[in-house]
Amino acid sequence: MSENADSTQNRHFLLRRLHSLSGIVPIGVFLIVHLVTNSTIAWGGLNSRVDQEGFGWIDRSIATFQHEVSFINNMPLLLLIEITLWSAIGFHSILGVYYAMSGKGNTGAYKYGGNLRYALQRTTGYFGIFFIFYHVATLRWGWTWLIPGDAVWSHEAASSTFAAALRGSPEEFTAVGMVVAVFYFFGVSSLIFHFANGLWSAAITWGITISRPAQKRWGFMCAGIGASLMILAWMSIIGFATLDYDRAVEVENAMHGEQIHLNSEDALDAVTLTGHDDTDG
Amino acid sequence: MSEAEAYSYDADMRKANRKQAVEGRSVIFKIKRCDGPGKPTRWESFKVPIETGANVISSLNWIAANPVTVEGTKTTPVVWDSSCLEEVCGACTMLINGRVRQSCSCLIDEYAPKEGDTISLEPMGKFPVIRDLWVDRQRLFSNLTRVKAWVPIDGTYNMGAGPKESHEQQQMRYALSECMSCGCCLEACPQFTKEEDESKWDSSFVGAHAISQARYFNEHETGKQLKGERMDALSGAGGINDCGNAQNCVKVCPKGIPLTESIGSIGRSATMHAIKQFFQGKK
Repeated sequence: MSENADSTQNRHFLLRRLHSLSGIVPIGVFLIVHLVTNSTIAWGGLNSRVDQEGFGWIDRSIATFQHEVSFINNMPLLLLIEITLWSAIGFHSILGVYYAMSGKGNTGAYKYGGNLRYALQRTTGYFGIFFIFYHVATLRWGWTWLIPGDAVWSHEAASSTFAAALRGSPEEFTAVGMVVAVFYFFGVSSLIFHFANGLWSAAITWGITISRPAQKRWGFMCAGIGASLMILAWMSIIGFATLDYDRAVEVENAMHGEQIHLNSEDALDAVTLTGHDDTDG
Repeated sequence: MSEAEAYSYDADMRKANRKQAVEGRSVIFKIKRCDGPGKPTRWESFKVPIETGANVISSLNWIAANPVTVEGTKTTPVVWDSSCLEEVCGACTMLINGRVRQSCSCLIDEYAPKEGDTISLEPMGKFPVIRDLWVDRQRLFSNLTRVKAWVPIDGTYNMGAGPKESHEQQQMRYALSECMSCGCCLEACPQFTKEEDESKWDSSFVGAHAISQARYFNEHETGKQLKGERMDALSGAGGINDCGNAQNCVKVCPKGIPLTESIGSIGRSATMHAIKQFFQGKK
C-alpha cells in the first residue's frame, strides 16, 4: 500500500470519527445545557435564590432565566466558546450532508424501524441546519429582518424580548409569529431526535455496543434521554409562547436594579453591558 | 394494488396465507425483463397454474416451457440464475414483490394464496443485469478480497496444525460462517448503492457481508495474522465508517447472521486499530 493511500485512509477515518464525536462533544453537550437553561422559564419558580418581595412562580422563572442568560453573557472568552460551537456545528453539518448524500434511502420497500430512523436521522439533520441557522442568525447575529415584527432579542431582557420574537409581537401571536413558533417546535424536536438517535448509532460506530441486547438496552436509554430533552424543549416553547410580556419586563428591570444595588462590581458590568451592545447573545 | 401492499412482510401472515392457499389456482407473475446489459427494461406478465408446493423457481421453469404472456403474445423464455435450490448458494437471489430474498425457498402459497393473485419478480437493483433476472454479483466477491476474507496458509514449509479454538468461539464463528454471499444485505442497504464504474468499487461501501467475514477471519486463530491489513482496509474510504446503521442487513439476511453485531465488533476493532496505530504504528 502506498504512503498516499495510507494518508487518505487515515484522513477518512479521522473525519468520520470526528463527525461522530463532534455531534456529542461539543454540540450535544451544549444542546443539553441550552435546553436546561431555556426550560427555567417553566420550572425556575423552584429557585428561591432569585426571590424578591412580591415575586410569584412565574416571576421567579423569569428571574432565573434572566440570571442564567446574564451568567452566560458574563463568561470569560465567550466569543471563543461561541466560535468553537459554530465551527463544530458547521463541520458536523457540511460533512453530515456530504455523507447523507452518499446513501439512498429505501424505506418504501423496507419499512423497518431502524431504516425509518436512518431516514429520519438525515431528514432531521437537513431541517436542523435550517433551524439552527435561523435561530443563530436572528437572535445572535442580529438579522432582525428575519424576525416578524422586527423584535430584537436582548440578553438583558431575555424572556420578554424572546417571547416577542417567538410570537411576532410583544403582546399576542401574529400569523407569522405562529409560523415561527411552529418552526421552533419542529426545529428543536428534530434536533433532539437527531441527537438521541445519533447517540445510539455512535455507540455502534465506536464499538461500544456490540451485541443486539446491548444495542437494544442503549436504545432505550437514548430514547429516555431524547424524551427528557423533548419535555424540556416543549416546556421552554410553551413557557415563552404564553409569557406575560409586561410582567417579564418588570421582573427584568427589577433584576438589573438588584444587581446594581447589591454589588458594585456587578453594577459596573451591568452598566458597561447596557452601554455598548445589543448583539451579544 | 401495489406490489408492496400485496406482499405480507410478516412471517405470521405468510404462514396464514399458506393455510388458506386455494388448490388448482393460477397466479400471475409480473416479471421485469431486460434483453441484455444496457438494454431497456419492460414488464411482462404470465399466468402460471400452481401445483402443490410450487415455488418461484418451479414457476419460472413452467414459464420457460410456456413463454406466452397473459395477452397471448409469444415471448422469449425468462432468464434467471440458480444452482442449489435449497437456499445455500445464493445464486437465485432476486426481488420478490419488491423485496430481496432467494426465489428457490419462496413458496407461492405464502405469497399468492388466491386465484389471480400477483407476484412480481425483478432482478436485484445494486448489481448490473446480465439478462432478465440474472445479475452479475462480481462486486460482492471483489469486496471480500478487499478485506482479505481468507486464512493465510500458503507458504514454503508446513506450518503444522492450527491453534486450538474454544467451543464458545466456535459457536460464535459458526453463525458467521453461514454466509452464502447471496447479496441480500447489500440489496437492502441504503448505504450500498449501485456503482457501474469498477474503478470506484474499492472506495465505495464494502457492505455488511464483507464486514462480517472480516470479523469471521479476524477471530480465526490463524486468520488473525491478517487482522491489521483487514482493519487498514476497513478503516479507509468505503469501510466500516460508511455504515449508516439502518440495520436492514440483519433483517433481510436469510441465514440470520448477526450482521449488526459484526458491524459493532469491527467498529470496536477499528477504534482499537486507530489508537494502536496512533501510539505505536509506523505510519
